[in-house]
Amino acid sequence: MLGQGFVSAAAIAASVLFILSLGGLSNQEKAKRAVWYGIIGMAVAVFFTAFGPGIGGYWLMIPMIIIGAIIGTRLARRVEMTEMPQLVAALHSFVGLAAVFVAWSADLERRRVLAARAVDGAMHDFSAFAALLAHKAPDELMFLQVEVVLGIFIGAVTFTGSVVAFGKLAGRIDGKPRQLPGGHLLNAGAAVLSLLLAILYLNGAGFWTLLLLAGLAFFIGYHLIMGIGGADMPVVVSMLNSYSGWAAAAIGFTLSNDLLIVTGALVGSSGAILSYIMCKAMNRNFVNVILGGFGGSTGPAAEIEGEQVAIDASGVASALNDADSVIIVPGYGMAVAQAQSAVSDLVRKLRAAGKQVRFAIHPVAGRLPGHMNVLLAEARVPYDIVLEMDEINDDFASTDVVIVIGSNDIVNPAAQEDPNSPIAGMPVLKVWEAKQVFISKRGQGTGYSGIENPLFYKENSRMFYGDARESLNALLPMVD
Amino acid sequence: MKIGAPKESVRGEARVALTPESATQIRKLGHACLIETGAGVAAGFDDQAYREAGVTIVDSAQALFDDADIVIKVREPSEQEAERLREGQTLIAFFWPAQNEAMLEKCRARGASVIAMDMVPRISRAQKMDALSSMANIAGYRAVIEAGNNFGRFFTGQVTAAGKVPPAKVLVIGAGVAGLAAIGTATSLGAVVRAFDVRPEVSEQIESMGAEFLFLDFDNAQDGSESGGYASPSSPEFREKQLECFRAQAPEVDIVITTALIPGRPAPRLWLEDMVAAMKPGSVVIDLAAEKGGNCDLTRADERVVSDNGVVVVGYTDYPSRMATQSSLLYATNIRHMLTDLTPDKDGVIQHNMEDDVIRGATVTHQGEVTFPPPPPKTKAIGAARPRAKEKAPTAEEKRALESAEFKSQTRRQAILLGMGGALMLLLGQVAPVSFMQHFIVFVLACFIGFQVIWKVSHSLHTPLMAVTNAISGIIILGAVLQIGSGSVIVGILAAISVLIATINIVGGFLVTRRMLAMFQKS
Repeated sequence: MLGQGFVSAAAIAASVLFILSLGGLSNQEKAKRAVWYGIIGMAVAVFFTAFGPGIGGYWLMIPMIIIGAIIGTRLARRVEMTEMPQLVAALHSFVGLAAVFVAWSADLERRRVLAARAVDGAMHDFSAFAALLAHKAPDELMFLQVEVVLGIFIGAVTFTGSVVAFGKLAGRIDGKPRQLPGGHLLNAGAAVLSLLLAILYLNGAGFWTLLLLAGLAFFIGYHLIMGIGGADMPVVVSMLNSYSGWAAAAIGFTLSNDLLIVTGALVGSSGAILSYIMCKAMNRNFVNVILGGFGGSTGPAAEIEGEQVAIDASGVASALNDADSVIIVPGYGMAVAQAQSAVSDLVRKLRAAGKQVRFAIHPVAGRLPGHMNVLLAEARVPYDIVLEMDEINDDFASTDVVIVIGSNDIVNPAAQEDPNSPIAGMPVLKVWEAKQVFISKRGQGTGYSGIENPLFYKENSRMFYGDARESLNALLPMVD
Repeated sequence: MKIGAPKESVRGEARVALTPESATQIRKLGHACLIETGAGVAAGFDDQAYREAGVTIVDSAQALFDDADIVIKVREPSEQEAERLREGQTLIAFFWPAQNEAMLEKCRARGASVIAMDMVPRISRAQKMDALSSMANIAGYRAVIEAGNNFGRFFTGQVTAAGKVPPAKVLVIGAGVAGLAAIGTATSLGAVVRAFDVRPEVSEQIESMGAEFLFLDFDNAQDGSESGGYASPSSPEFREKQLECFRAQAPEVDIVITTALIPGRPAPRLWLEDMVAAMKPGSVVIDLAAEKGGNCDLTRADERVVSDNGVVVVGYTDYPSRMATQSSLLYATNIRHMLTDLTPDKDGVIQHNMEDDVIRGATVTHQGEVTFPPPPPKTKAIGAARPRAKEKAPTAEEKRALESAEFKSQTRRQAILLGMGGALMLLLGQVAPVSFMQHFIVFVLACFIGFQVIWKVSHSLHTPLMAVTNAISGIIILGAVLQIGSGSVIVGILAAISVLIATINIVGGFLVTRRMLAMFQKS
């Protein structure tokens, strides 16, 4: 058994390592080292805590860790990069559920300790957490109860919210926003009821209040995320990421464990920043996204003149052969069509012919922050030609050919040109400034937001209809 | 339909309206092609090349006019050619209807339809048949080559063992298609190029070609979009300003290429005698407007003149014909695009659709009637020029005032936030036990560190960031580990499940992050 000194030292080391691990993600090369900091930090934290004072139940703990490790490994090996959003959502739900369980257990322990105290007032031979509880003063125990309520509430919302997000991202639940009659009033009602339960619990009501509280929070999580559409999932997933952090921090308070608090705060602020970046990229505020739906338009949308002109693969190929500079704008459609390796082949061919090829990534392209970068990296596209919106947006005017693959709203000129458009003011990629734009698209439908895209009607735009992967594969042999 | 190209009858005209390449494309539209024997020789295409492209060779111009349904030509028809036209026949050529009213009347009287390639409206859709631009492009290129031929020095500056050579300074007046082509050619030869145009909206194009735009500070600048992208006459005051600017340039520049034309008017005089006199001996003036009287006082059409101080003034008018192969290729492609628009179903049947903006605009006689001038096109030529935002640089005081106001409001906002936060902490401190406050300090500091660190994360690594935060939020396993040894069975079970799923999270999260990061490769 290691002493408390070891455990505290390990906690400090782990906190520092976690911070280094997140900080290292500032660039691709450092990141490869940084992830090791995270792994070592986690190993140190778990090892020293598990062999710290007063810990028991190894016969249960160790097999569980081994089984969990095996499942985790298989999951990580098998997952396709296009399925990353689902995986991340699923993992969030685990943290949420674990937080609920730990908080419940904390309350059960509290009751056990209180009961033991009431019987004889003597210090029993309690193990780790219970021993800690036994030393707490009454006001500290009161605060513990508040923390338990927070832990359960945040954890439960994270759990069902993530499960629904997982379902939507994996396509098992319809991606459209859907709500029970009553809409957000139901959520508000559930929240008020939760507050009442929490007050009851603080005033000494039984364990049932916590069960009911979790039930209500489960409902809120489910209903809230069901009301949010598929394309807003980047915000939702980062929000849930943030919640899972706050849940961990709340549990940290309950357990008086600084390492949990630090880590939870890091994760929580990380998710919050990601949500903020996503919202800013859509020019919407956070509340608007979470409550679902686009803001009402302030007037009739500007009329679109012209017609959509289709083009076949040979037309695109000859334009590419003549071009010196090409920018590719990928979107969720590329992930759906699994077209990333076809894109990569095309890029390799064009680059071999001495053309400048780059990618322009909008912050909300895909269903997860940075989703497109990972897909392209998987298809072996070098990361130094994959650029952010701000880096490349001024270069479109001097570009010969832009290929838009499966994105719509993020290249919609109405956002800048039509003040009445529902997406007015959203920063978009200015693809229409290029000499020629080809849009690879399945059909003539509108994007997620249901807004007509004037880009498709511009005179330098050509529609390259068809499944993205098949279109690109048809295009490949014609490019030289 | 039979499409026929006669040999050009004007002396010295080397171009031809049909090339073997365009013939192949035209035949794909379902038409048959004819050509007068020897018509392409001067442009570098012999009869054999045409025959291989499936073109029928016709012995005489008369036979061709008799046989063809559509006659395609470069130059406007001669009297004799107009006589040969018959009712229902279509002629496609440069026609200049405004200057050739007699010829227009003659063609109308013969009952022929005439499509004037010089009347194709300047809208984006019609760019592919804009033969004026194709020819102007060639003229601009050739003007620089001609200048180089007459200029005794290098274009590009060099430092050689035999001494330093300064780069040639070229001034291009008029940044239409020809002007821009001249700018492009001259910059790629290494010259230092300046350019002037009365339409301020072309400054971007000029700068994009690598030349310096000579900016005239003048309020009533023209809006070129109103006149279909062409220049219009300018006011006397503007003209004075302009000449003043040129006069300042004259002693400096080595080569002047003038391309200023106003549709339907004689060319404006922009390079006056005194400017030529001010130029260095050996300098060259290439006047692309010579056919319309010239921009330079000394220009004589189709001649090379040397001034008293040794400045060469070149006034050739046949630049496209001097590059007959290239011009024929481009012109034939323009014609071919026109035919494509006239044959929308690709079945060899001409549909002379007078509703179509482009066809309507280019048609000058049709079905026995003169249809010139055309009504204004439905689509505007080019977007209205965005006026150059004249940014008034704020004065130093204004700037300082602005900055201090901003600083003050920021300070106020921060002070309010800090004050509110402090008050909240104080309230919390009143009710919360000491141990809680200690943990709370840790929490707040960790949030701050989190915000600082995460802002620096590269956008492209946001997915790995989520995966890694996912993994470390598995730290909740510690809570379960602390509880798993509890005496209570329920707590034991709950803790065991928590350990299991938190481990999945940790291991899965870290491994998938490693997998992702390994994929990021530098090129």
